[in-house]
Amino acid sequence: MKASLKPRRPSPDEALAIATSTAPQQPPAQINEPLMADTPTTLNLRIRRSTVSAIEATAKERGLTMKQVVAQALQAAGVTVAAADLEDRTPRRR
Amino acid sequence: MPVLTIASSKGGPGKTTVCQVLAASLAPCYRLAVLDADPTQALSRWARTAYEGTSFEAIAESDETRLAHLIGSKADTMDLVLVDTAGFGNRAATVAMTSADAVLIPTLAGEADVTEAEKTIRLVEGLARAARRDIPARVILNRVRRTSLARHADAELKAAKLPRLQASLSDLVAYGELSYSGRLPSAGTAGAEIAALLAELRNMKWLPELRNYVGA
Repeated sequence: MKASLKPRRPSPDEALAIATSTAPQQPPAQINEPLMADTPTTLNLRIRRSTVSAIEATAKERGLTMKQVVAQALQAAGVTVAAADLEDRTPRRR
Repeated sequence: MPVLTIASSKGGPGKTTVCQVLAASLAPCYRLAVLDADPTQALSRWARTAYEGTSFEAIAESDETRLAHLIGSKADTMDLVLVDTAGFGNRAATVAMTSADAVLIPTLAGEADVTEAEKTIRLVEGLARAARRDIPARVILNRVRRTSLARHADAELKAAKLPRLQASLSDLVAYGELSYSGRLPSAGTAGAEIAALLAELRNMKWLPELRNYVGA
């Protein structure tokens, strides 16, 4: 090796300290986005009337909402479904 | 063994292209590790999905702390470590320059490119002073067209006393194709330019000696 390339490389901690002190204003290369809150959103599906009727009938039979029927079926198929989507959250009359 | 960082505080001067050229050229000669510190992971994706030559180790890591440790460990175990960095001032790039034995700074001919190349050179000088070690840096002109603009950029680099390589890479389709085909240009103008670049890096002792390596 050429003499100018000294074998003494700064340790990782030294390199970090030197980089931070020499260019303290620099941001990280990648800023991790905070985890998005699991807020409700919509999923619109264009499906046949007969399928909707079948879901409706199953929901009535089981005492569930249509959304619960779909969510439970997805969960049974191995899809990770949020707990809130498995509940009946229909607004109740007071 | 040597750590060569390819850096520039400006995006788009061809850092990843230069890194691809070097990695594809040097993989047959050395145990080579390429660390991709750019969050876009363009280089490591290329190595994984497009590159067709002699294999080398490619790792994507843009967190500065993990990168600092990775550079240290790979420098101990590999013949040569190349570090590609993101095109803006960021901690991972600065750590990569601090840990480097040499820094290569690709630049285009535009005014902003030359200005940012100078900023990067000055940053390396500051890091070298803080680390109390020599970290040589050289500008390499990339996508050169034989125009008056390129000659003006060359004059600006000289006026700013920025150390530059004599070798340069022209604005050739062959380099663009490398990003898709993974095949290194070995003939024609591109082949000659790559050979000249490697020869200059060897002359400066930025690359390890070849005589101890199989395939040299």
